[in-house]
Parts: sequence; structure tokens; C-alpha cells
Amino acid sequence: MTTLALDNTFDDPTRRAPLVLGHDEFSTVTEKICGVNEARRAPRAWYIAFAISLFFTGILGVMILYLFATGVGVWGNQNPVMWGFPIINFVFWIGIGHAGTLISAILYLFRQKWRTAINRFAEAMTIFAVICALMFPSIHVGRVWVLYWTIPIPNQMELWPQFRSPLIWDFFAVGTYFTVSFLFWYVGMIPDLATLRDRATTRLRAIVYGIFALGWRGSIRHWHRYERAYLLLAALATPLVLSVHSVVSFDFAISQLPGWHTTIFPPYFVAGAIFSGFAMVMTLAIPARQLWGLKDFITLRHLENMNKIILVTGSMVGYAYIMEFFTSWYSGSLYEWFGFANRAFGPYAWAYWIMVSCNVLVPQIFWFKAARQSIWVMFIASLLVNLGMWFERFVIIVTSLAQDFLPSSWGYYVPTWVDLLMLAGSFGLFLTLFLLFCRYLPIIAIAEVKAVMPKAHAHESEASR
Amino acid sequence: MPSVDQQPPHGKAYWRSLDELADTPAFREFLHREFPAGAADLIDSGQRRQFLKIMGASLALAGLGLGGCRRWPKEKITPFAHRPPGRVPGLPLHYATSMELGGVASGLLVTSYDGRPIKVEGNPEHPTSRGATDALAQASVLGLYDPDRSRNLMTVAGGQRTTSSWRAFDEWAGKEFQRLADANAKGAGLAVLSEATSSPSVNDLKRRLLARLPRATWHEYEPINNDHELAGSTGVFGSPHRTHYAFERAKIIVSLDSDFLHIHPAAVKHTRDFAATRRADDPQRTMSRLYVFEPGYSLTGANADHRFPVRGADVGIVLGLIAKRLMGELRPSSSIAQQRFEQTTPADVGVEQAAFDRMIEDLDSHRGESLVVAGRRQPAEVHALTHAINEHLGNFGSTVSFSTLPDAQAHVASITDLVNNMAAGAVETLVMLGGNPVYDAPADLEFAHHLGRVPTSIHLSLYDDETSKRSTWHLPRAHYLESWSDARAFDGTLGVVQPIIAPLFGGRTPIELLATISADRLSEGQAIVRRTFASLGRFPDVDRSWKRTLHEGFLAASPSARQPKIRRKGLGDFVGDIWQRWPGPESEGFELAFAPDASVYDGRFANNGWLQELPDPLTKLTWDNAVLMSPRAARELGVTTGDMVTLTHQGRSVKAAVCVMPGQHARSVTLALGYGRRDIGVIAQDAGFDFYPLRTTDAMGFALGAVIEPTGATYELAQTQDHHALDTISGRGAQERLPSIFREATRQEYLDKPGFANDHHHTGAHVVHRLSLWDENTVQGAQYRWGMSIDLNACTGCSACMVACQAENNIPIVGKDQVKRGRELHWIRVDRYFKGNDPERPEAIALQPVPCMMCENAPCEQVCPVAATTHDADGLNVMIYNRCIGTRYCSNNCPYKVRRFNYFDYHKREPVREGGALHVTADYYTRPQTDTHPLKQMQFNPEVTVRSRGVMEKCTYCIQRISAAKITAKNAWMKLSDDQKREDPRVTIPDGSLTTACAQACPAGAIVFGDLGDPSSSVAALRGHERSYEMLEELNTKPRTTYLAKLRNPIPDLIASPNPRTPDDHTGA
Repeated sequence: MTTLALDNTFDDPTRRAPLVLGHDEFSTVTEKICGVNEARRAPRAWYIAFAISLFFTGILGVMILYLFATGVGVWGNQNPVMWGFPIINFVFWIGIGHAGTLISAILYLFRQKWRTAINRFAEAMTIFAVICALMFPSIHVGRVWVLYWTIPIPNQMELWPQFRSPLIWDFFAVGTYFTVSFLFWYVGMIPDLATLRDRATTRLRAIVYGIFALGWRGSIRHWHRYERAYLLLAALATPLVLSVHSVVSFDFAISQLPGWHTTIFPPYFVAGAIFSGFAMVMTLAIPARQLWGLKDFITLRHLENMNKIILVTGSMVGYAYIMEFFTSWYSGSLYEWFGFANRAFGPYAWAYWIMVSCNVLVPQIFWFKAARQSIWVMFIASLLVNLGMWFERFVIIVTSLAQDFLPSSWGYYVPTWVDLLMLAGSFGLFLTLFLLFCRYLPIIAIAEVKAVMPKAHAHESEASR
Repeated sequence: MPSVDQQPPHGKAYWRSLDELADTPAFREFLHREFPAGAADLIDSGQRRQFLKIMGASLALAGLGLGGCRRWPKEKITPFAHRPPGRVPGLPLHYATSMELGGVASGLLVTSYDGRPIKVEGNPEHPTSRGATDALAQASVLGLYDPDRSRNLMTVAGGQRTTSSWRAFDEWAGKEFQRLADANAKGAGLAVLSEATSSPSVNDLKRRLLARLPRATWHEYEPINNDHELAGSTGVFGSPHRTHYAFERAKIIVSLDSDFLHIHPAAVKHTRDFAATRRADDPQRTMSRLYVFEPGYSLTGANADHRFPVRGADVGIVLGLIAKRLMGELRPSSSIAQQRFEQTTPADVGVEQAAFDRMIEDLDSHRGESLVVAGRRQPAEVHALTHAINEHLGNFGSTVSFSTLPDAQAHVASITDLVNNMAAGAVETLVMLGGNPVYDAPADLEFAHHLGRVPTSIHLSLYDDETSKRSTWHLPRAHYLESWSDARAFDGTLGVVQPIIAPLFGGRTPIELLATISADRLSEGQAIVRRTFASLGRFPDVDRSWKRTLHEGFLAASPSARQPKIRRKGLGDFVGDIWQRWPGPESEGFELAFAPDASVYDGRFANNGWLQELPDPLTKLTWDNAVLMSPRAARELGVTTGDMVTLTHQGRSVKAAVCVMPGQHARSVTLALGYGRRDIGVIAQDAGFDFYPLRTTDAMGFALGAVIEPTGATYELAQTQDHHALDTISGRGAQERLPSIFREATRQEYLDKPGFANDHHHTGAHVVHRLSLWDENTVQGAQYRWGMSIDLNACTGCSACMVACQAENNIPIVGKDQVKRGRELHWIRVDRYFKGNDPERPEAIALQPVPCMMCENAPCEQVCPVAATTHDADGLNVMIYNRCIGTRYCSNNCPYKVRRFNYFDYHKREPVREGGALHVTADYYTRPQTDTHPLKQMQFNPEVTVRSRGVMEKCTYCIQRISAAKITAKNAWMKLSDDQKREDPRVTIPDGSLTTACAQACPAGAIVFGDLGDPSSSVAALRGHERSYEMLEELNTKPRTTYLAKLRNPIPDLIASPNPRTPDDHTGA
């Protein structure tokens, strides 16, 4: 035990790096993680953060009411830029919602055990991000009261949605993704909910956690069924990780607009989504592990691994940016080539170069181990990547629409204060949900973490040598 | 016709009891107690429980049932007990009438539904209009329903303006004019100031008035007048003449600052005739050639083959140089003038010698089929010398003819006389028949000041405007659609103005007012007009002729056969004036060039929302005017579009915003008149800048030596097309794709390569493939295949189509704030591009109307998630407003960007000028529904859905007209015999019997609509024309709207082709 280094970021291939640090027993793990939920009072920072988030959620609500009462003209959308902030935000949040399921499902199938420390919270982040994402296209339509016409409901007029429209594909893709992600998250949480139920000190907690624990008793049969279900859901969720953002990219790729009509969009969007998703996990995990003293579980090695993924996906995104230029030049199309040259050097060049700097240049710092291990560097980098990825969607949507085929229709899009407040409000909603999650649900998969503790190893002494 | 004015201006119309009339407390109490039944029970506590139960249940039903909370507007239906004769419910009626503007009438045909005029068209039989109209006439129907029109008489009592009534006025006027008619007064102290009018009835009444009151004076004033033209023609012919041009016979046209294609009383006719010379459809591809000399772009300049930006003051010198070359014997007499005559070259006024020489050759070699036209801003000597040159070239009787104007008055002199009389205290009673002299009289006359000293002033006006507010009486005037009157068209054709609706606000016409003043035996407008009519000719049966004229709308005038001869005597002086008065090639400061505005004219249409939102054809400015300045001048002053400057001229100054306009002469700024009006209505309020304060009696056209200084402030202008500087990537990108979007060639290129429009080497367009992602909707077996062809060669860009579409299709205006955000709703727009890389002098201007292309393979349809836009059985791309949920994806995917979205419920909003942060004015929700809304609704076309908020809309090819034509054709077909039915199984709709609103209004006949499935239709023929092309055909959208490529006819070898493009510039293949 004494030889167990507090640093698990070494690169010695002969030694297995521990996934959990510290001197925890199984019982202290439970104690620590459940303690977050069971403390009578949350840390002061939580209250402050929650108050701010709730305030912005309130603003979002007021903005939506204002929007419904007045009309979608309260946004900056115009002719030719008929889609503005709402759709940018939609794609941004969907992208954020990518990392969770990727970490949970794909890394699970690949038996990447380090995922256990962060998967719960990444999944929660996914759910909340998808909620934010789903909100935007719903309120985006001009006549929100007939939004249900996009749903294929059998009706007396035999009117169906138009299945050729990528928006309908979107509806199904995002809907499926949300459902599966939610189930995956919830199923994975059942043993831990049962733990919380068993430790409940008040009647209310016992009842509420009891309901959601679905009568979990921890029997072998339960574990058996649970493991099967989890594996199946992981298998189901994996293709969705790739499909959902591919389909979102079809919203653009299927149209014939220069700058949208490109075949590389699906992989490019998926890479970008994973990139932004991981950045958001970082942005949330770094303060959370600090706040609740979970550094032993979310170790520096975890963060370093994520930084590596950010570096890889960031470079993939950079490659996509270059390829877009190549294909538009190679197409020989006047409109295509103008579209891209204009992106980089036209009226929206500022947005383009923010995007390139944040998404391609910033992650390059993670080639350096010191940077990968510096909390401040990675925190700032993750914020910049979030910013850059938001701008990527801005660049794709706005620059392509603002200057398309006929120069007479060209315009310059400027968001309104409603746009800005709604974006801020969506962060408020996201953080509100996330803070509630931190307070009331186990933020680390207790049962899974125990399985990867050095202690759980049959040859504990060897492992820790 | 029944009056629709439900609310008389004063008093209660009907009352239920004498108590109500008296509005006694007892009656109020009664009203209070009368209902609701059982209301008093609510106070009884025993019933409260019952009440709450009922309320709870109603709430549940109304609120939770959702259906209950839909609020339908309250409507009252008042059916006719007996059908009025000649009226079929749901069928529109058409009446012929005339609209007079600046003393010239245009013949119109007005569509009326249930007694409401809703649409104005040109009278197809009328010799000048031939069924077409300009934008102003199209928009005039909105002026009728303008809620801001004056509804009340106003008078001054005890220093306060109060409302009055016609009864009070008539009583007062009877005494007042009787007093003036007294034997010793004989009308002394009475002055009448009229608008320019060609109305025989007004002239007749004027004659009668002056007979009764011989010492009264009659004055005429219009800010946009023909003083110079009349002075010029008087100088060379001895009497005032109006010049008529036959553009259809002219091969070489030289315009000296004349906007004969746009802001000219005969512009509609000119456009039609000019377009006829541009079609190049004969085997030799003959075309006219148009040279234009002008300080700032006019629409005529935009259509020129060679345009030379010269100062307004230099235009006379251009003419002088032409005369020097063609008529060398005409020499000025004074020494300075002689010296200038000898030494000046075209280069001194910025005209290239080579081009000038070729122009002279052209004129010289086209005697009898050339034409020199002088603009009305130009001084009298320019007009006089122009006549001389036309005569010299043998154009008299061929391309130029004249008619006499015996009653013509010089307006500036006339109003100057009046003001002098007013200043001398000689005017006691001033009657102003229309016009708005306080606003638009020359600034140096200080009309407002002098008006204040006239004891009694009466102003008849559509609006309670600037002049009304300073007069002792304001009388509401009847709109021309409410009036009986008459007027003559430009060619002298008599048109009768007949009312289509009873006066909405009880207005009167100038004729009726004159009848009151002159105590005429007749007081009814109709009777007076008929009396005049009877006196105008020798009719075998006056009643028959009158009825016929009313039905036709006009009575043709006999053309005057005699053409005047130039008197050589006066001509020499005019030539001297041209050279003598020239300020020289360089003069201090800027030249201010005043121009009537394309939208508001002289300001009278300032409260017309359609016109305010109609983009200027060239600057694309809406809701404002601006100081149009060349890029170089702007650079020198350090200003750009949207910067405020102070214009100072002779101690008078005005602050206004700059709009940088390529092609403007660097030392001349164009100032459109008619803006900057205050307190006449919601629309006109704060729109633009008033330049009248700079316009003086000696500078009605141009003012030299003005100083322009930046103020440092900025102003937001709303343009429907954004400027991209030519040297930016956007500007270069636009130039690069223009040859493919707007295809054009010179006449020579067309001769060499007739199929240039579809030659990728010529246009730089991409090679087309015809592969589709989806199975295409081939619309096989469709009964009709509607299509449209737009001849870019004929189109002058006048934008009448835009207003016609707006009127036909219930398109709301959105307001300046929304235009700034690019949310204007015009279904058809006219795109304007500058060609070339020199912003000082663009090679050309491209003007291209863009309605929906009705793609057979429509990109919009495929992306709509709810299939709200689909093809109908005729292959039209239709919008189903009911189904649209407003994702706006269709617009994103539309390469032509013709789709328009209702971001707000624009019909229910007052247009907002500065929306501010909230986008809506503060009282948007709280303001009670006033009667302005029903008034605006009266203009709506009942055949077209009024779209609500959150719905996409676009051009429908006027599908309501298609449906109506189909119904007519099918009904007729059903009556045919079986054999005849077999002959026409398709139920052909005869070509030409159906057209869209834009095509109907087009004066150039540039837009042709019809059935492509009918091989004999003209649209089918045009589609097969060698100049026909599809815009963005490489996208495989298969548009139904196609264009005919533009031809220009520059001097061969002088100026390079507008498409200096090498064949292998693009890798499209």
C-alpha cells in the first residue's frame, strides 16, 4: 500500500496504472460518493452556482414566452439567413451530448475500464445537453402550436410528414438517441440508487430512491440480468453515437447550398461532436472533482486520457476543415469555391478564425505531457474548444446562408438580444439540471468503480507493487 | 353606391331613445342595469357557490379543451335584402377611370369587389397606357384606404384649430364668396392656387369663376413642373408646346438628362415604345442605341448603351457641342461664349472624344430616325436647342411631334406672383386646390411665412398636411377613386374620372369646391363633368357618347396635324445662353441635382406604405431618401453610406444621410424630393430628408456651389440589397458569377453567336447535368404547364411589377426596421447589379426581376418536413399556408431566395421604423383595435389568403387568376357540342386571356405568362427563343420561369464586350 503512488500518470508500460487512488476501502468509496448526495448542506459554491443557473433558466423561460407571444421575428433570423442562433445552439448541444454515450457505450464495449470514473456524469451531461438541443428546433418553428405535425401520427386526413426531409430524419435520430441514452443512464444507475435507498436516513429519501431503484436487492440473478441489459443497451447505443450526428449533418448535407452540400459532413460532424463532448466533460469534471473531493476517482490519468482524445478529434476536425477547402476547389464550382474562400476571408472571417484557432490550434498544446497534466491548461483549453465548436456551427450555418447563389439576396446576420439570452438561458437550463443531478444522484458509478479498485483485484499486492 | 363611412365625423347617427340622445344619467343607469341578466344575483352570497361552480366548469371547458381559447375575430355580416342590379356576388366588376398626376392623366381600369376598389390596372384600350401602369398608379389604391387620410374639416376659431363640418363650411363659404362677388369687390383679394391640372371641368369652372369674379387671380404650382420645357418651346415656336416622342421609330436616341423611361408623364408609353426597338427580332437584329448624359443614374441611364456621367450644368454644353458639330452655323454672339464655343471639347465635360465623335456620326447618319431628348430639369435654352437639332436632323414629324398647351402657366412665376401679392397684402382669401406649397414651394419664397399673413386660407387636401395646418380652413379632399372629374392624358386623350366608391371620409373634389366658390348652378361632380363633356365636342347623341365614354374610360383626341416651325430669330440667343451661363468645367463646391422620387414623387405619396417600402430601382433604398454621392466624392469627404452630412447652399442648409452611388458624377449629388414630412401619418413620419429647403426659384433643377460637410453622426438606411465593395472578396465573387446569372451580349456578339445565352464559354455557367437524387415529379398528363418568360432586354427595372404583385396578393409592408433585417415580403423583386470594376463608372447596370422560378425539380419541396410546399396538378410549386409550420428550411434550400417568411403578423402591426430592442412598439398589444384595421382590410383581394405569422409565402403565379380562368374555360367547354369537345380535349385557356399581376402591369411587356403545354402560346415560343436561358440551370431545378438574355448595342469596337471572359476560364466541363 505504501508504494502506491499518488501519481498514476506514469508511462511505464510494465506497470498497470491504478484507476483509483488513495486508500479507500469499498465502504469508504460508498461513503464518499454517497456523501455528496447525503450531506445536509451542499458546498456553498453549489448554492451560488445553482442560483445563477436557475436565474438563467428563468430568463430562458421568459424569452420563450416572449417568443411565443410575439413571433420568431424576435430573433435575428432574416432572409437569407433563415436559420440563426436556434439551430446553431441545437447542433452545438447535440454535439455536447455525444461524449456521454461514447464514453459509456463504446468504451464499455472496448473494455476501457478507466471510463467508470466519468461515465455516469458524462451520461448525465448527455441527457441534459440533448434536452437543451431538443428544445431549440421545437421553439424554432414559426407556428409552434402545430409542431406535432412533424410527428407521424395517424390522422383522419391521412396526412403524413414528408419522409424525404432531413428534419424528419432528425426527429427520429435525436428522439431515438435521447431514449436510448436515457435508458442506458438509468439502467446503469439502478444499483447505486438502491445503495442510496438503503442508506437513506429519511423516509422521503427511502421512498423516492426506492421507487427508482425498482426493487433492486443485489442478488446474483439481479446482477446477471443487469449486466446483460447493460451490455445490450451499450450495443444499441454504440451505432447511435455515430448515427445521430451523421443525421444532424444531413440537415445541411442534403441541401444544395454551397458550404452545406458536402459528403464529408457525417464523419466530420461526428468527430466534432466527440471533440466538443469531451471538452464539455472536462469543463464539468474539473470543478466537480475539486468541489466534492473526488480526485481519487477522477484522477489526473483520466483527465490526461480525455486530453488525448481531444487532441485526436481536434486534429480530425482540422483535417476536415482542410479537406473542405480542397473539395470545394477541386469541384471547379464557382459557388462552392466562393463559399469557402468567403468563409475564410469574407465578412465572417472573424468567426472562421476564432473557430480554427480554438478547434485546431488550441488542442495542439496537448502534444505536451505537461499541458495534458496541468489542470488550468486543460480547463482553459476545454473552454476554448467549447467556444470554438459553437463557432464552427455558426460558421457552417451563417456564412453559407448569408451569401449563397444570387448576390442580390446576400445579407449579414446579426443576432438580437433574445438570441443571446436564449443561448445563455440554455446554459442555465443545462447547468441547473446538472447541478441537481450532482446533488441528488450518484455522480460516480459506485458499483462499477469498486470493480476497478486495486482492492477488487485478485492479486492486489501485485497490482500495487 | 353605399357609403362605407359608418362613423360620421360628429354626432350620433341613430339613437334608441331620446334619453340616449341626451345621454342622461337615467339612460346610463338603464344601460348599466339592462344586462347581463342575473348579474345582480352574483352579489347574493347564497348564489356564490353556484356561480363558482359554473365559472369553474366554463374555465375547464374553455381552457383545458384548448379549442375554447381560440379567439375568432368578431364580424358582422349584413347581407343585402335585395341584390343590387348588375351585381353577382363574388364576381368582381371593372370600371374605367383616370388618375391625374402633375396635370397628366393615365387611363386605368379598376377592379372592384363588393363595392371596394382593390386593384388598379392600365386601361387596355387607352392609347397611352395600353393596359400597363407605373408603380405610382398601382399603389394609388392603397392611398384610398390610408387610415391617416384627413377625415374632418378643420378651421381656426379663436386661435385654436377645431374640427368643423361641411355644413358649417358651406354656410360660411356662401357668405364669404358672396361678399367677394359684391359689385365693388369683383373678386379682389381672392386668389386660387391650383395643382397642375388638365381637367376641362376645372378649366371651365375657372373660366366661370373668373367671369364672376374678374379681379380674382388664378395661380398654378407643382414642384415637379415643365416650366423650362414650356419656356424653351415658347422661345422657338412662339407658343408653349408639349413634345411627343415616337421612340418606336428612333434608332439613335440621345437623352440629355431626361428620365423618359421612368419619371416622365408618358413613361409607360415610352417604355413600351422603347422596348419595341430593343427586341432585335428581325433578321438584321436591329436595335436602337441609347446615349445618356446625366449627373446621377436614372433608370433611363441604367438602360443606356452608353452613359456619360456629366454634371447637370454640363449637359447644356454637351448639347452645345452636338449643335456645333451638326449645325456649325449656329454660333453664340458674345465674346466669352464664342471663346468657349471655339475651345471647349467633349473631354472638358468628361466625355470621351472618340465616343462623342461616333455619337455625332450616328446622329448624322440617322436623319429622321434619331431623337434628342432634353430632361425637364434642364434650362429653357437646352430645350430650345434640342428642338432645333431635332428639326435639323429631320426628326420633326417622324420621331418628334408637338401639341399646343394654350393654358399652360409657368409655375414658378405663377407662385412667385402669388407670394408677391400675399406679401403686399393683396390676398385676403387664398383657395388652394390640392398641392402642398408650404412644404414644396421654392424655399426663397417663404410661402409658409406669407401664408400666415393671409386672413383667410382654404386648403383642400387628402391629408391634414403642412399647408393645411397653416391655413384657416382645411377641407378633406376626395381620393380620385371617390371622385367625379376629367383629365387629359399626355397625348390629349380625354379621360373621365369616375368614382368607384363613395367618399370614405366625406371628402370633396376640387371641382365641387370650385362650384361652391363660384356659386355654380350645379354642385354635383357628375353633373358638372357631364356638362363639360357635352361642351367638348359635337356629339350627335350626347347621352350615348357620355355613356360610351364612361364605359371606355376615355374619348380619343384628334391629333393635331400642324407641326410648328423653329423661329431662327430666338434660337441664337438660346445658343448664346448655353455657352454664356456655363460655369466652366471646374466650379467651387458641389452641384445639387433635385429629382422627383421614384416612390413618393414630389412627396404626395409619402404616406403610402407600398411605395415607401418599394425599393428605389437603383439605390434599393426603402423608407428614406439620401444624398446620392459618388464613391470618389464620399472618399474625399471621408464619409460613407449612412453618414450624416450638412448640405449648405446660399445660406440654407439641410442635414441628411449619404448613400454612395456608383456612376454618380463626382461633383454632383442627387437629392430626391418628397421626403422628410412630419405629422401627416404613421408611414410618412420621419421618412427621409426634406430637400425642398435647398430648392429656390432660380435653382429648381440644379443648384451649383453647394458645400457638403460631414457632421460625424450616422443614420441607418434600409436597403434591400447590401453593398459589397467591389474590391472585397464578396464584390469579386459577385462580379465573377454575374455573367452566368444575368446573361447578356452586345448586338454584334448576338449576330456572331445567336445562341450565346446557352454557350458556356460566353456565360461562364457550369455545364448542366440532369441527374436527380429522387424520382422527379414529371407532372405527366398535366392539363396545363404554366410558365413565365422575362425579357431582360425589354425590362427597364421600373418596379411596377413589385407594387402590382403587392396589391394583388395582399402582401403586407413590414416597416423600415424589418427591411433592415432583410424581412421584406415582396414576392417579386428586381435585382440590381453594377457591372465592372470601376465604382465611379460602372460598365453597365443589370436589372433582373425575380419571381418564384416554379422549379419542376424544386429544392424547397424536398426538405419541408410536413410537405407544405408541393407540386400541384399543373406542375406549379405551391405553398399550403395551412400546413406550413415555419421551419424555414425551404427558404434555405431555395437557390433563388424568393421565399418570404412572416416573422410577425405584419398585417396586424403598424410598420415600425425603428423597432429598437423589442421589435414591437410598446403599445403593440395594448392598443385597442381601432377602425384602421377594417379600413386596411377593405383593400384585400378576397381571392387571396391573408397569411398569418410563422408561415412561409412566395409567388404563386397568381394562382387565383389561374383558377378563375380555368373555371371560366371549363364552363365554356361544357357548353360545347361533343364534336367541339373532342377537338379541344385539353380545355385550352386562350393565350393572353390569363396573365399574372406583374405581367399585366409591365409597361415594357417584358413579362409573359402562359401555358407551355399550348404550343401556340407566346410563352412557349419565347421559351424556345435562342436567347432563352434558365437561371442557375446547373442546379437542375428545371425552372418554369426563364429569362431572355439582355442585349446591349454599344458602338462596335469602341467599348469592350460586357463579358470580357476567356473561353477556358472555368473548369465547368
